[in-house]
Amino acid sequence: MLVSLDWINDFTKTPTDITPQRLGELFTLATAEVEEVLESGSHWDKIRVAQVIEKEKHPEADKLNLVTFTTDGENRLQVVCGASNVEIGMKTPYAKIGVTLPNGLTLEPKKIRGVLSEGMLCSEEELGLAEESEGILKLPEDAPLGETMLTYMKQTKDTLLDIDNKSLTHRPDLWGHYGLAREFSAIFKAELKDTFNDDWAKGLKSKIPGGDAPVKVNVDKDSSCLAYYGLTVKNVKVGESPDWMKRRLLAVGLRPISSLVDISNYVMLELGIPLHIFDRQKIKGDTVNIKRISEEETFTTLDEVERKLISTDTVICDSEKPLVLAGIMGGLNSGVSEETNEIFIEVANWKAAEVRKTSTRLGLRTDSSQRYEKTLDSKLCERTLLRTLELVLDLNPEAQVVGDISYDGMDLSQIETLNLEINYARLRKILGKEVSNDEITDILSRLDFKVTEKSENIFNVEVPSYRSTKDIDCDADILEEVGRIIGYDNIESKMPLLDISPVRLSPAKELHRKIRSFLTDFGHGFEVQTYAMIGQKLLDECSWPVKNENLKLINSLSKDHDRMRPSLIPSFLKACSVNSKNKNQYRFFEIGRAYNEDEMNFSKESHQVAIAYFHKDENQFMELVNDVKNLLRATNIPGDITEKHPKFKNELIDEEWLGVHPFEFFNLRIMGKMKGSIFTVHPLMLRKFKIKGNLSMAVIDLSAFEDRPLKEKTKYSPLAKFPSSQFDYTVELSATKGKGQVLAVLKKLKIKEVLSHKIVESYTPDNSDVTFLTLRTTFQDPEKTLTGEFLKDSEKKIIEHLDKNGFSLKS
Amino acid sequence: MVSKLEELYQEFSKSLAELNDQAEILNLKAAFLGKKGKVSEVLKSLKDATPEERKEIGPKANEIKDNILKNVNDKLAKIEVDQINAKLEKNKIDTSVFEDDYVNDFRHGGLHPRTLIQQEIEDVFLSMGFEVLDGPHIETEFYNFEALNIPADHPARDMQDTFWFTHPQSEEENKHLLRTHTSTIQVRGMLERKPPFRFIAPGTVFRCERTDASHEMVFNQLEGMMVGEDISIGHLIYFMKTLLKEIFKKDVTVRLRPGFFPFVEPGFELDISCLICNGKGCSVCKHTGWVELLPCGMVHPNVLKAGNIDPEKYNGFAFGLGLDRLVMMKYGIDDIRHLNSGDLRFNEQFNKY
Repeated sequence: MLVSLDWINDFTKTPTDITPQRLGELFTLATAEVEEVLESGSHWDKIRVAQVIEKEKHPEADKLNLVTFTTDGENRLQVVCGASNVEIGMKTPYAKIGVTLPNGLTLEPKKIRGVLSEGMLCSEEELGLAEESEGILKLPEDAPLGETMLTYMKQTKDTLLDIDNKSLTHRPDLWGHYGLAREFSAIFKAELKDTFNDDWAKGLKSKIPGGDAPVKVNVDKDSSCLAYYGLTVKNVKVGESPDWMKRRLLAVGLRPISSLVDISNYVMLELGIPLHIFDRQKIKGDTVNIKRISEEETFTTLDEVERKLISTDTVICDSEKPLVLAGIMGGLNSGVSEETNEIFIEVANWKAAEVRKTSTRLGLRTDSSQRYEKTLDSKLCERTLLRTLELVLDLNPEAQVVGDISYDGMDLSQIETLNLEINYARLRKILGKEVSNDEITDILSRLDFKVTEKSENIFNVEVPSYRSTKDIDCDADILEEVGRIIGYDNIESKMPLLDISPVRLSPAKELHRKIRSFLTDFGHGFEVQTYAMIGQKLLDECSWPVKNENLKLINSLSKDHDRMRPSLIPSFLKACSVNSKNKNQYRFFEIGRAYNEDEMNFSKESHQVAIAYFHKDENQFMELVNDVKNLLRATNIPGDITEKHPKFKNELIDEEWLGVHPFEFFNLRIMGKMKGSIFTVHPLMLRKFKIKGNLSMAVIDLSAFEDRPLKEKTKYSPLAKFPSSQFDYTVELSATKGKGQVLAVLKKLKIKEVLSHKIVESYTPDNSDVTFLTLRTTFQDPEKTLTGEFLKDSEKKIIEHLDKNGFSLKS
Repeated sequence: MVSKLEELYQEFSKSLAELNDQAEILNLKAAFLGKKGKVSEVLKSLKDATPEERKEIGPKANEIKDNILKNVNDKLAKIEVDQINAKLEKNKIDTSVFEDDYVNDFRHGGLHPRTLIQQEIEDVFLSMGFEVLDGPHIETEFYNFEALNIPADHPARDMQDTFWFTHPQSEEENKHLLRTHTSTIQVRGMLERKPPFRFIAPGTVFRCERTDASHEMVFNQLEGMMVGEDISIGHLIYFMKTLLKEIFKKDVTVRLRPGFFPFVEPGFELDISCLICNGKGCSVCKHTGWVELLPCGMVHPNVLKAGNIDPEKYNGFAFGLGLDRLVMMKYGIDDIRHLNSGDLRFNEQFNKY
């Protein structure tokens, strides 16, 4: 929103000893963010009255003239000019090099078709005085040569503050210059003029003859109307607004249209309350009805767009049709035109939520709706009506009010004044700054709060009605008023006195960090983060069995992200398809959330860690399995790696899923449940995602155990006092058989002195179907040295046991 | 006799210099120092010497003996080292190329840049006694709006910002949505504990916004809250300044100005002096010299009430930090979409080793 300091200075005095930039900064620190400080009209004192001395055709262009002129009667200057109305002796405004015109053009010395032009003779349009104009501006003959246009045209310079609308969301009182002036007066300790006081109101009311209002007002209880004032004025002439009004409107970015439209805009920008002026003749009957429309209908608003209204929308109707969309925009059918001579002024207040609902639905945000959305104060409507009347009468000396003000809506005297009991001592404590009671009271008074002392440090603060519509309702709000005027920058940083108690990361966070360290440091992986939302297309593409139909967003931005993901695996396949294009080998992981439907709680979110190992040529499965095994150990996750189980299915990966390799699959059994899986992605699935190579993945559901600290499993036992003995031997087995079977067989043989059976090496001769497996069994007894006899006996038992189970000693 | 000894030592030194074989050196040693060695022979004749001569010859003879022994040992040691080094040379490995010179070099790893920054901030706050909390992404209206003093008709509840699972205009109670801010954890945090307490809550949030280089529909925030008796704006400033000092590793100039957020009163925008231009004004700070970084404020009494806390007795502050923005600032990341892309060309740049 653009704020004119010139306008503000109608009501208070802004400081002149600081730069406009600093002024904007101070306003930002106290009230709302000033995004930009603009100077308007700074060109006026650089443009002077000039007189044309000579005119000749440009040697190279028919339509251009070389115009020689002077601004002081002595020095001759020349410009290239395209205007057809240039005459010798004519007076016209001249802008020299360096001047920036309102359209943003900064004049620079330049050659036009070879001839140097030293500035510009200006048109009304170029001066910002008219929307469009033809030729350069012809000034009266008596215009004093060399006088600046600032003096001659009685123009003004102005400083404009562009305030971020968002930072005014909670301040309905700051949507007009008078309200803003109050802020300036409080910030800079300058007096606020009491322009719109009771005497002023009395003066205007004396011009209202009373008696029957020609247009009566009828407000339906279920409409969005809170208060509605109407007043009829006759003998009005519609014309151009005076320059001072046009200038101000232009300065804050509004196009002057006609005197009546300009008045309604001017008053809104001054007092912050929107209003509407009807052509009385276009109101059929003698009553305006404010009501919700009964059934859907279309309505053409002032901007000539047909709008579809629904039955909750409030409109202002005459006896036949809707005329205005309440609080948002008038209709094309009732606006004022050049023929208008009798008007009906509406100043009303509407329920904020309803205005917002309708304007959002229609996608129609206007200066009016923007203000009503903030919750305006009905008590300010009358003042607004009187100010409108004042301007109408100023601009139309013949105009006369007809009848009395008509009003319907709530009983405004019933609006309760908000009184807050404020403890200044507590306020000081929370503020963190020593401020005297008098200073607090002074700040509040300047902001129009009425303060009375009740007892020591306890004050009653009466809140002005326009601040209590929504903005202020508790002591914290009063704290803000005091704090911002003092300046938060004046509060010093202070270390608090606090009790000390140990704080640690939660077990879950701790676990996540451990997993991340392990997978980056040991697993050589990179952590990625992928979208929590996913689309049906991707789920279909990877034939994922769970579609999360009940976790669909109703307003997703794209079909690719229209629901929550049931697992990290589909996201990973997609990431792999991108990465496999760029790399021959990679490893990455994510700790993210999977979302599943839940009847009781709508949804269940669980942390999963997913890991992907890819290699163009080499199988990655056992690498991944071994790393996951170590991950479980390193993080104390109580789990082990098991084969597919006929009864207990994997809870994360459907074993029937097309993406699972038929042989390279393990369950991770964690606390008895299949809460994880390690598998190789089936080549058919890889083909779908155009991944060429070997891709293995692991996924673990952390939610089942992450909330409790995991027990450390490290156990110490004293170093052995007696030596251990080792026995190496080589057995034969079919080359297609898993070597683990030999170990499994050995485990069944119970000899309590056996410490371990481990593989030393294995060897398969070329073209042989037999593998030779060398094993080492270690014996130890903590109590004694093992005898040769015992060892011999045990070795024999092992060989016989293996032989019995089909693994004979190498011959 | 002394000169005889000197001569012998000269003779020994000359012979030793010519020898390179361990056995020969040991033979040489025997030839001079052995029982029948040349030096021993000389010393045997000492018994015929006068006491004065003995006084002179004795120490000299010992000195020469020691020197010979030392020279022999040094030489032997050198030969051994030479022999081993010769062997090492034979087995010399190629030290001219490194792991990362190979195509299939993969032994690297690294955390996501978000994690890096998040963990750093978590640690800063842990050290100051703040807990680190977490909460669900799918929330109800209560936690995302109502309890945070954002009533039903507040603009923040509009369709354009929030991802909804159920139409917001539907009559259904407590509709589900994706949390739009980490402030939901303020509510959960309050309901789960009794004052005084302090915590932070980093996490993912969702906004229904078109994505481009600087906007994401999924991004990360870090929430913070402290509740106790007589918590002041000065305390808030202290923690914010400390946080910024820890993040940027230097004192950062800040300014606090009014900002409106329904869940705090008063609410502030905390700006930092632009680190690119040092506050002089540049394109990053839109020529203001300030960068908006930390919305914060004193917890609104209604929010305390929603968290079952008596606002007459307790108060506190809360703040929110755009983690992604910080990540992008720190590493100069040009496009926010990289953060969620899973594209390793991006992630690999954050390798630890």
